[in-house]
Amino acid sequence: MTGLLTASGVGKSYGIGSARMPIIDGLNLSIAKGEFVSLVGPSGCGKTTLLMCLSGLLAPSEGAVRFKGETVTAPPIGLSVVFQDYSRSLLPWKTNLENVLFGMRRVVGMDTAAKKAKAAEIIAAVGLSGFEGHYPWQVSGGMQQRVAIARGIASQSELLLLDEPLAAVDAQTRADMQDLLLDLAKRFNQTCVLVTHDVEEAVYMADRVLVLGPRPTRVVREIKVDLPKPRDQLTTREDPAFLHARHEVMALIRAMRQGKALA
Amino acid sequence: MNAALLAERLRVPICIALVLGSWQVIFALGVVPEKYFPSIPTIAVAFWQMLTDGTVISAWATTFLRALIGLVGAAVLGIALAILSDLSPVLSRGIRYVSDVLQPIPPAAFVPMAVFMLGLGTKLYAFVIILVTVWPPYLNGVAALAGVGPVQLNTGRMFGLSNWGLLWRVKLPAALPEIFTGIRYAATISLIAVIVSEMLAGRDGIGFMIFKKAFALRTPEVFGLMFLVAINGVLLNGLVNLLRRRLTGWHIGMMERPE
Repeated sequence: MTGLLTASGVGKSYGIGSARMPIIDGLNLSIAKGEFVSLVGPSGCGKTTLLMCLSGLLAPSEGAVRFKGETVTAPPIGLSVVFQDYSRSLLPWKTNLENVLFGMRRVVGMDTAAKKAKAAEIIAAVGLSGFEGHYPWQVSGGMQQRVAIARGIASQSELLLLDEPLAAVDAQTRADMQDLLLDLAKRFNQTCVLVTHDVEEAVYMADRVLVLGPRPTRVVREIKVDLPKPRDQLTTREDPAFLHARHEVMALIRAMRQGKALA
Repeated sequence: MNAALLAERLRVPICIALVLGSWQVIFALGVVPEKYFPSIPTIAVAFWQMLTDGTVISAWATTFLRALIGLVGAAVLGIALAILSDLSPVLSRGIRYVSDVLQPIPPAAFVPMAVFMLGLGTKLYAFVIILVTVWPPYLNGVAALAGVGPVQLNTGRMFGLSNWGLLWRVKLPAALPEIFTGIRYAATISLIAVIVSEMLAGRDGIGFMIFKKAFALRTPEVFGLMFLVAINGVLLNGLVNLLRRRLTGWHIGMMERPE
């Protein structure tokens, strides 16, 4: 398999002996450059553990994750995670600009002035011009998550792993943030993997939806989303193809939640 | 609005006036003999005489410096012990046992043995003060470092921080506000320890002077010296707060922000 990010035969379990609890088992996936892929699955299936393994923050028990062909053993340059818990992920003793600059600490070939200019450009792209000098705790939750996204992009990232990034923001902000994310992904050439509980969001955002099975999880279905771009909050969500994809994903998850055997 | 502002401005003077007034009332009632409970003017005169003849200034500076050096030493050592505990669970348990045993011992109990071992000098003060002052920064440091959240740590790792980088760039800044709570507490203990040591083993300093004057029944001067001890407390607290605002001003802002 070739791809920007691949997982082959990835397994992860906690504990040993009779207390061993498998979370992921025999998971394969491949993310191509430029793709937007959503990962959805029943609650508690191990999505976050999977994301930790994909990012190199957690070592898989079996199998291997490769980023740009190299086995991932620690978070590689060019990959960044946007955590759901933005208020804890941003460092409260740093201003928004300093937080974004913190994301650029491994960026080479740029002096401080160039880094600051780049950071300011990305902060402007997420719509936070004028808030560079504020601390994260001085701005709203939606704005904090935008700082976290800006920080991820600023790290010269090629691949953003988004761990339910919009779960904690209110519904209206959420729709705006979805479109902002899609726009940013295109503008900054980001390949994105979005983990979400929200099936509609998964379909709306993605080129491909990977449905995860119950724990120990693996990819049980791949659904291609053939919807015109740019996506639109009104027309995309009314498109028969959208409804069809949504139906398919929801039916699968419902079946899994009811414990039925998978087709 | 104007009255409220006036009350706000006058809060401190009013409090001082109340304390001094109550003092004078007790004095006037004569419940304690005047020999042991002089009036405020008598104390003020005695205090002024001590200030002008110069002896008290050097004693004051000596005592304050000892408390300050002890506090700085205790803070540095306490944070170092907390970092060691954070790095190794084995060390953590070992240090915790030592701390559990030593912490309840009051400074006065250390002084006699310390005099034999270290003589009557700087070493004695450093030893006693640091030994009783080190625990709040250490205990708060351990709790604060252990309490740094997994999301912050993962964020640091994601941007390529090594374990040392994580400690230096994420854990310590995150733990600093709580460590400062320990240092503020330690400041008070340090002042107590220095006065006690000077009383028991001193040749100079305010503690020594209080002891000497008390045995000579120079009560007004004793009260004057106690006032200086209180001033030391205010000064040391002020210094700690200044540093706290400089280093963890963000946290104060975060706690005070309107919701």
